[in-house]
Amino acid sequence: MKRIKSYKTKRRLITTLLFCTVIAYALIMSLPYLWLLLTSFKHRVDAFSIPPKLLFNPTLDNFKVAFLDKNFLLNMKNSLIVTSFTTFFSLVIGLPSAYAFSRFPFRGDKFFYYYLLGTRFTPIIVLALPLYLIMKSLNLTNSYTGIIIAHTAFNLAFVVWMMKGFFDTIPLEVDEAARMDGCSWFKVFMKIALPLTKSGIAATAVFCAINSWNEFLMALVLSGMDTQTLPVAIPGLLTPQGTYWGQIAAVGTVITLPVLIFTIIVQKHMVKGMTMGAIK
Amino acid sequence: MNRIADKRNLRRKRRLSTNSRMALFFHSPTFIILTLITLGPVLYTIYLSFFNYSLSQPGSKNQFIGLNNYAKVFSNPEVFSSLIVTFKFVLISVAVQTVLGFGIAMIINSLKRGQRVLTALVMLPMMVAPLVIGLMYSFLLNPQFGIYAYMVDTLKLPLPLTPLSEPNSALLVICITDIWEWTPYMVLMFLAGLQSMPMEPFEAARVDGANALQIFHKITLPLMKPIFVIALILRVVEAFKEFDKPYILTGGGPGSATDVIDMYTYRQAFVNYNYSYAATICVILFIILIAIGISYGKFVMEREKN
Repeated sequence: MKRIKSYKTKRRLITTLLFCTVIAYALIMSLPYLWLLLTSFKHRVDAFSIPPKLLFNPTLDNFKVAFLDKNFLLNMKNSLIVTSFTTFFSLVIGLPSAYAFSRFPFRGDKFFYYYLLGTRFTPIIVLALPLYLIMKSLNLTNSYTGIIIAHTAFNLAFVVWMMKGFFDTIPLEVDEAARMDGCSWFKVFMKIALPLTKSGIAATAVFCAINSWNEFLMALVLSGMDTQTLPVAIPGLLTPQGTYWGQIAAVGTVITLPVLIFTIIVQKHMVKGMTMGAIK
Repeated sequence: MNRIADKRNLRRKRRLSTNSRMALFFHSPTFIILTLITLGPVLYTIYLSFFNYSLSQPGSKNQFIGLNNYAKVFSNPEVFSSLIVTFKFVLISVAVQTVLGFGIAMIINSLKRGQRVLTALVMLPMMVAPLVIGLMYSFLLNPQFGIYAYMVDTLKLPLPLTPLSEPNSALLVICITDIWEWTPYMVLMFLAGLQSMPMEPFEAARVDGANALQIFHKITLPLMKPIFVIALILRVVEAFKEFDKPYILTGGGPGSATDVIDMYTYRQAFVNYNYSYAATICVILFIILIAIGISYGKFVMEREKN
């Protein structure tokens, strides 16, 4: 009896220790980010003080200067436009293909599979250079077109991968029943498959949006003065006269906070979608 | 008898053809768009690599020069050293991410409660924009007011005060930022793998009296092998495309210590305007990554068949 008890307490101790290890890891890893967050609310004096200050009078000055005086509001608008169009196009184009992978296996499957895989393995710079030259010759370097095209191109493969897995979870009997009732396959897809995978689609949409919102290289190459997205515009705060760290922190906070919140909301489905390739 | 078999065959044939017809219908938007916006640009890049399109030499014409660009790329030590830097970066980052990620995944998997919360906490860094990560580290490492220099100074740690100004430590910093960003991905992949493993072999081993180390070595690792392969390939490919963090942290320096291949190509194309030369490097990169991609595809297909 005594032995069992001591075994139990030992087990509990180990579990607690392991739990604390992960918590400690997560905390250490979040420190750099928390520091950025704190800095965005600091006055200039507090941000640069030595030793670094943990307690200070919070201020919204950095946000005010960056977004109202320095036009980062425009960049935010650009980011929102690019992100929403990219997400929309990626889903509209990618969802049917994902459905086909799940429901209509045929001989060309392998070919389509490799074709999609190829786009996932293509380096971004390999697309950025030709797209830039094409956009330049069409006089579209100062538009959203190039960025949206580029972002859609690399999001499509993710949409198809993630959504195929979610469509696979719908039992075949469901579409058979609908087919018996005389629905066309297109109607089955629209009226049954899509509503049944709502949460999967939401997670996929968030994933696409984050990819596009955070993307830098394509946006850097393909945007003009009026269409710079937030990540592209931030380095503008590193000037020869000095670096506006407070404002950088403020813009960094605005870029990351919505992403983190959305991630936590759709976490379960997003993790499922992202790791689908690893598990059969 | 024969007629029934014939009928069945016919039905199967018809079903197959409906399948392919529907598949073509549903696949066509993706196929058309990808052809236009991915295959098209890639073909254009290949085309460019045979010309001498450049804005850096005024008066130069857009001429066909055959394989000259390729000869130039292969004889340029800068390209070679940039590839070496990239390989070093990929090797260090992905190796640490794999070991660390697997450890964390094992721990989270062994816990009975709190798995979801811990996963959420652990996964956050990979959602932060890479450019912001670069800026964040550059702020922490600032020699005048950064928290890193302050710690090294007050605690008298045996570390360089300005790691970004020395070649070896600069590359290491870039690796650390990547480890910071992408270890969560490995945790998620391995956790998913661990949770989808069958229970029977573990129960059998326990009945046979195997200890924890034996179970880990003889059952967990072999069962996880395919997931290791998949996660590693995907990470290697992503790490190969690294650009944002060195761009903001070091700009490729000091010297060319952190000049990963995407940085080098970017500079050739958009700073020096040697479009054709950059296109040639792009073609080579494309071939390397597609080769990795094909082996990945084969591996996954093989696995799905079994």
